Amino acid sequence: MADDATPIDERKFTLNFGPQHPAAHGVLRMIMDLDGEVIERIDSHVGLLHRGTEKLLEYKTYLQGLPYFDRLDYVAPMNQEHAWCLAIERLLGIEVPRRAKFIRVLYSEMGRILSHMLNITTQAMDVGALAPITWGFEEREKLMGFYERASGSRMHSAYFRPGGVHQDLPQALIDDIMVFCEEFPEKLAHIEGLISENRIFKQRNVDIGVVDEKTIMEWGFSGVMVRGSGLPWDLRRSQPYEIYDEIPGEVFEVVVGNNGDNYDRYVVRMEEMLIANDIMKWCIENMPAGEVLLAGTKVSPPRRGDMKRSMEALIHHFKLYTEGFHVPEGEVYAAVEAPKGEFGVYLVSDGSNRPYRAKIRAPGYPHLAAMDHLCKGHMLADVSAILGSLDIVFGEIDR
Amino acid sequence: MTDALNDLGDHIRSSEAVADLVKRYEVKHGELTVYAERDGIVKLAKFLKDDNQCVFETLIDICGVDWPERSQRFDVVYHFLSMRLNQRIRIKIKTDEATPVPSLVDLHPSANWFEREAFDMYGIRFAGHPDMRRILTDYGFEGYPLRKDFPLTGFTQVRYDDLEKRVVNEPVELVQEYRNFDFLSPWEGMTKELPGDEKAGEEPSNG
Amino acid sequence: MADDFKPYALGAGRAGVEGGHDVRADDPFFAGLSDHLADKGFFTARADDLIAWARTGSLMWMTFGLACCAVEMMQAGNPRYDLERFGMAPRGSPRQSDVMIVAGTLTNKMAPALRRVYDQMPEPRYVVSMGSCANGGGYYHYSYSVVRGCDRIVPVDIYIPGCPPTAEALVYGMLQLQKKIRREGSIER
Repeated sequence: MADDATPIDERKFTLNFGPQHPAAHGVLRMIMDLDGEVIERIDSHVGLLHRGTEKLLEYKTYLQGLPYFDRLDYVAPMNQEHAWCLAIERLLGIEVPRRAKFIRVLYSEMGRILSHMLNITTQAMDVGALAPITWGFEEREKLMGFYERASGSRMHSAYFRPGGVHQDLPQALIDDIMVFCEEFPEKLAHIEGLISENRIFKQRNVDIGVVDEKTIMEWGFSGVMVRGSGLPWDLRRSQPYEIYDEIPGEVFEVVVGNNGDNYDRYVVRMEEMLIANDIMKWCIENMPAGEVLLAGTKVSPPRRGDMKRSMEALIHHFKLYTEGFHVPEGEVYAAVEAPKGEFGVYLVSDGSNRPYRAKIRAPGYPHLAAMDHLCKGHMLADVSAILGSLDIVFGEIDR
Repeated sequence: MTDALNDLGDHIRSSEAVADLVKRYEVKHGELTVYAERDGIVKLAKFLKDDNQCVFETLIDICGVDWPERSQRFDVVYHFLSMRLNQRIRIKIKTDEATPVPSLVDLHPSANWFEREAFDMYGIRFAGHPDMRRILTDYGFEGYPLRKDFPLTGFTQVRYDDLEKRVVNEPVELVQEYRNFDFLSPWEGMTKELPGDEKAGEEPSNG
Repeated sequence: MADDFKPYALGAGRAGVEGGHDVRADDPFFAGLSDHLADKGFFTARADDLIAWARTGSLMWMTFGLACCAVEMMQAGNPRYDLERFGMAPRGSPRQSDVMIVAGTLTNKMAPALRRVYDQMPEPRYVVSMGSCANGGGYYHYSYSVVRGCDRIVPVDIYIPGCPPTAEALVYGMLQLQKKIRREGSIER
């Protein structure tokens, strides 16, 4: 009887989560108001990784600013560079060589596998499965090797440049990527065998964090968060860029879930990895020969051979890497389907060699903003499962 | 693409409900930009959401742009997306440091964080926002970092003080200043034609 | 062979390793140690050598993943590079860890939390600064919100360069830390 008479307020307490917590996927601090073990309110404190990227971009030339985009969503670096390059190219009004488009798509899809692989395995770890990460990271390791062989760096590649990509891919690398693509579905099936039918994984994820259509619209969701709920929205299909509109439907179809819960999002990510793998294969099979960086324009450096013979080429090289190129006045919003959703860059140029304003629209930002909405009424233990399923990376959220 | 956007712009400008809120529109780089009145932004966003030729249900982004030389120094830029009709729109309004902009939180809950960020970065105020706190910058941060008159390196830096046993703020002291090369003055920018290019077509002189 | 063996050879063997001596499985030192152990059933060593050995053998690292470097840190902990073969395992709590790897950009907002975590770690504790941002701000050096080096907040033992350092570089850095612990050789820190 005494328990029943206790005023309800005494069951309520406030819990501080983070900023350093293994399940926070980085640096997130959440103040959670709990009623017993039920979440009443979550106040997320972000900005613990706020590095002032947008301010720094205004002080650097377009080319010097490019590597900042690698460091936003550091799980899939090249997808971010892509948006930046598209924005600049749209303002300059230049068309990328065809081979470069294929290489860009190839590496964007590689980034998708990198990101989904990290997300799925760490989310599985958050809900108790420790083994998948050891297998998944081996595949990531191979992909990072491909990054390194193309650009010289395992993660922060600065490989996509306005006007194309920095260097051509050697044939040996393309062959090795093909070998990877052949083997990958089997490796993925192993990981899937560990997780998909796992009783604990299902108990922790099915019907948790359900996202309905109203939530999607109101909270500005994109990417897997939308597709998991059954809406076939994918920028690669809806507003295609590069060569995505040429990829045949049997290679690339938009995967959708049914229920919009954590588990469906996991399934969608799994399927998307397979499809990304197919797209990579298709790109390799159909890749044309030719230039990879727009020749004869002011945005790309001259070939090294030309610089040995031509004074103009040498001056151009010097000017490009010190002063940089000028982008005509105007404003543009370029978005790509990054692994986490719509990654956009709103670029305002005043005609000089530096951006006047570059706003980065990170997909994770509105997702995390909806955390309070999604977790309300869930148990405390579900918070880390939902957080993992949102696919949060703080580099892009805090910028 | 451009025609469809022009039609959409015409449609918005000629609709009775919002005609007086829209100043003008333009289509550039395949994107529609609508210049609107600041105080009518909520009404306009509601129209864009409900009208069956617009259906802009998703708010993609809100951000500020600073133009210090103007009297209304800030642009507030809204990006909307319609997943149903597969179209995008950009709304631009102007404001200054003191005048608040009506908040969109009631219409689009996602505006909450975007508006907090615009406030944090530029000091743009939003009327009717339920929770106007700083979001990205440090607790107790002063100033608005993305304003053009805010220095890149800021005013304070932190250090752990051994005597006080805590992290303290102190004025910024750089070993080396940021080397901000002004290439524009001596070189007058990069022209379409590189110096010396004009000689390419000439006959070499035998001298 | 056994005649060469000195009872305090645990430390002497260490010196051999540091001098660039190639330690093979059939090294006389091991044979001597084995014989000595079979003969007497015990051996003696200097206490500080033993302590240094114990410290280097189980460096539990605190996962202070802040930014990009955290990904490489995870890669280093996973099978390809496998830090656990050196007895280093990731710990989620500062109270269970010996070494903190500051992996990523340290911002002004995060600095007090970093210090608090460091203060919670038991002695002896070590800090490895991983990557340009933690070393000195790196690419974000001139930003208004970034700490220009995590050594402004906590004392750092090892700096690993790179942006991000590869997982291999991190493993090398951790081995350098082991070497540093052995060289210091004092119980007091």
